[in-house]
Amino acid sequence: MSFSKRLTAHEFVVLAEMHTPKGVNITGLVNDARRIKGRIDAVVVPDMDNGIMRMSALAGGVLMQQQGIEAIIHIYCRDRNRMALQGDLLAAHVLGIRNVMVTHSEEMSQGDHREAKEVFDLNEVELVRTVGELCGGQDLSGFELDGSPDFTVGCTVAPYADEAALAGELQAAADKVAAGAKFVITPPVFDLDHFQSFLAQAKGLGVPVIPTVFLLKSLAIAQYIARSEPGAKISEELVRRIRKSSDREAEGLKIAGETVAALRDMAQGVMLQTLGWEHKLPIILDHAGL
Amino acid sequence: MITAERKPLEEIIDYVKPFKRILLLGCNECVTVCAAGGRKEVGLLASGLQMAMLKAGSSIEIREHTLERQCDPEYVEELVPMIDGADAILSMACGCGVQQLAMRFKDKPVFPAVNTKFMGGSQRQGVWDERCQGCGDCLLGITGGICPIARCAKQLMNGPCGGSCDGKCEIGEDVECAWHLIWERLKALGLQDRYLEIMPAKDWRPAGGAGPRKIIREDLAE
Repeated sequence: MSFSKRLTAHEFVVLAEMHTPKGVNITGLVNDARRIKGRIDAVVVPDMDNGIMRMSALAGGVLMQQQGIEAIIHIYCRDRNRMALQGDLLAAHVLGIRNVMVTHSEEMSQGDHREAKEVFDLNEVELVRTVGELCGGQDLSGFELDGSPDFTVGCTVAPYADEAALAGELQAAADKVAAGAKFVITPPVFDLDHFQSFLAQAKGLGVPVIPTVFLLKSLAIAQYIARSEPGAKISEELVRRIRKSSDREAEGLKIAGETVAALRDMAQGVMLQTLGWEHKLPIILDHAGL
Repeated sequence: MITAERKPLEEIIDYVKPFKRILLLGCNECVTVCAAGGRKEVGLLASGLQMAMLKAGSSIEIREHTLERQCDPEYVEELVPMIDGADAILSMACGCGVQQLAMRFKDKPVFPAVNTKFMGGSQRQGVWDERCQGCGDCLLGITGGICPIARCAKQLMNGPCGGSCDGKCEIGEDVECAWHLIWERLKALGLQDRYLEIMPAKDWRPAGGAGPRKIIREDLAE
């Protein structure tokens, strides 16, 4: 069953994020994807939204489709104007991609091409609406298309520092849902009680809310997130568990798997985020019993 | 200078109609020179607003004042004795002036009465052309004193696009091709060699690509 149909049928969906290479060597990407084929419902392919120049998500998504794995590709506003975005969306449909996710993008000054000019011709809400316009048979200037694409479009809730910021992010997500987003991906979940209360607030969005499960690859990363992102709610106890473990790498994988397993009863899916450790995804899925 | 044009009266009325007492502020600098928001335009707008409100069966009390510079906190302080008598401020300064007022008078709504357009120069009576986009890394020394960022529709950095004809840009016969102008000027100055130098991809950080810009002069800052 396709990702879109599973969402509609209220089935639990398992997504895994896989980055494209900074170069043309696709061996790792394809091999990592093959390892989890059949165990996940779709691969989410980020673009350059984190500010690092790499192979486009469109190509990455097509590679996934060629492997028989459904793809969800990121689209965002920093690097392309409305012409380029629409053109790429039409191309994505023709090349077999049926899911896109409108995401926030890192400021250019935080990436690896700091001299580049930012575009932001559209914003996230307008980009969600643009996908709907194209699916409805028209472009943003109202011209009729010769064949309409068909996409399930999702969006994200950006990381938030406190309750006030969360309210703003939920309103932004509500705007994107009103514009046509059919699912929402949350920031990483480290505290299930906190996620429960988040979910109670996010239920009002009226679309499936899919939490991100982030792999804590090291103690340093856990400590860094705990210190710099208070909204992530990494507890002292969680940091202590990794610190005390004799195999911290394995502990991180176990924590991710346990989080996925726990979320099966709470949310309508999960998105696994391993940031370069996609080869470890099978172990997380093992721990999660998936 | 910074150029501006007055907003349509209907838009201004929409801003101010919930309020009874308006402080209408002009600026003696750029917007006076480009005849958009100086003392004279303040008077004209006040009359226009009064008439429109009367016609709509309403009334509005407008106090007119023109500051030397609305973008300068020193002059904005002049408004302190007047501010309590106003429900809202309507500014005919550029966006810098409007924001200076909004920062200073936090409990007063501030509305713009002009659209700030560009940094430009006067070509003849009543005509202003864009000349500078404040890219923060001036190229005029290389391009013969003619800016391809502000004056080329495509912001090309290494010669024309091929769409120019008889020295005019493809977007309109009244738009001069910046690169045609640059070439002609470099030729006249005997500096054609500069045209042949390939300019690298521009660093847009000084143009604002790294966020809002700021100048701090340590020797002047208090």
